[in-house]
Amino acid sequence: MGHYFRPTTIKEALSLASDWPGNYKYFGGGTDLQIYRKQKLLNNEAIIDLSELDDTCSIKADENSMKLGAFVTLDEITTSSDIQTHFPLLAEAAASVATPVIRKTATMGGNLLVNNRCTLYNQSKEWRDAVGSCLREVGNICLVTGGKDKCFSRNVSDTAPALIALNAVVIIHSQDGKKEIPLQDIYARDGIKFHDHLDEDAIVSEIRVPTKPASWWFKKLRLRKTLDFTSLTVAATVDSAGIARVCLNGVSMSPVLIEESLKKLTVETVIKKARKNCKTVDNDLMPLKYRREMINVYLNEWWKSK
Amino acid sequence: MEKVQLNVNGFPQVVLVGSHETILETLRNRLNLTGTKQCCDEGTCGSCTVLMDGKPVLGCLTPTVRCVGKEIVTIEGVSSGDNLHPVQKQLVQNGGMQCGFCTPGVVMTAIPYLKENPDPSIDDIKEGLSGNLCRCTGYKKIIEAVKNAAEELNG
Repeated sequence: MGHYFRPTTIKEALSLASDWPGNYKYFGGGTDLQIYRKQKLLNNEAIIDLSELDDTCSIKADENSMKLGAFVTLDEITTSSDIQTHFPLLAEAAASVATPVIRKTATMGGNLLVNNRCTLYNQSKEWRDAVGSCLREVGNICLVTGGKDKCFSRNVSDTAPALIALNAVVIIHSQDGKKEIPLQDIYARDGIKFHDHLDEDAIVSEIRVPTKPASWWFKKLRLRKTLDFTSLTVAATVDSAGIARVCLNGVSMSPVLIEESLKKLTVETVIKKARKNCKTVDNDLMPLKYRREMINVYLNEWWKSK
Repeated sequence: MEKVQLNVNGFPQVVLVGSHETILETLRNRLNLTGTKQCCDEGTCGSCTVLMDGKPVLGCLTPTVRCVGKEIVTIEGVSSGDNLHPVQKQLVQNGGMQCGFCTPGVVMTAIPYLKENPDPSIDDIKEGLSGNLCRCTGYKKIIEAVKNAAEELNG
């Protein structure tokens, strides 16, 4: 019948996780994972709801740095005047996620660790049964590419590219203790084990941004202006030393970061690097050719605006 | 199964619920409060919106166990007797519903929205209600009704 736990400390949450090895799932807001449960893509017996954890819901942002609890909701981020003033890139990225009502439940940490998506995987059980074998679920072949060994599901987080462009680090707790790692290092370029660089029981508790960028740019491509997951998100910052950090998401198995001094960059090299590093396949509602072409369009737009 | 005490529309309710059950299932199947509609059941359409401590949440995505100790308000708890809430009244007067299936969700989204944004423009309302789908596509009248409700609430 299942179990639902609401721990109040990280220690308690980790010990619950060790009681249910391989058979639990952490919930932040739960807005993404509930759908996986309904579609029978997740069948774990235990749910560990982390929304009651102490000390994980604070926002501290000033002109130099930012510290966010992982269980701050996306709505709190978009409406926080400190974030709007000092880190508008993050406010805009958070405001582009889902709908206003979902943002009141969905959490920052949850959006960073949102599951990868694919048009042939994120469907109802009946739909999947009718279409058949998928590498990520039960089958032995990828239905999108016809390949046998690799899944290309897309990372669809919008706040991840924004925070990677802002050079964020995340604080992670697991049985092995507390670690601080750069945000981009938690993503693996794999459509099935996309958070493979994290321990299985890892809990992201805090996000830190060390400095404020000199300039920023953000744009999200999607079918409707609301609700839809991203088809292409580009977030870019340039710091005071002239180092550009451009991060693309929604077009590959993990966010793709290009970091280079502006002096060494031309718009052609950025586009070439982006197109080379993005493993884009036809697994979104928008056509593949259009999404690939939009990478050029967005990067050109960013280049002109900076 | 878990025995939980919920507070729904001001009334305490003790119910036996499944551990992974959503508040939408509890409201409709165990408490017979069928005003909250089950539509897409995957967080897309907004028809199941209810208020949890004054904050709109999607009933189909919110586990019932998470609602313990919180005040739940559903569409049944919005009006006082025959006196409709201004949002409901304006939806009726402006013809802001056709089949009416999305209407409970629209009301439960618009009420907290107008509390936070007492003087919204038409574009603000469109953004605020962007998570509520109406398959009859009667959006124009819904948005006008919410605009009129904002004016009525401001007196």
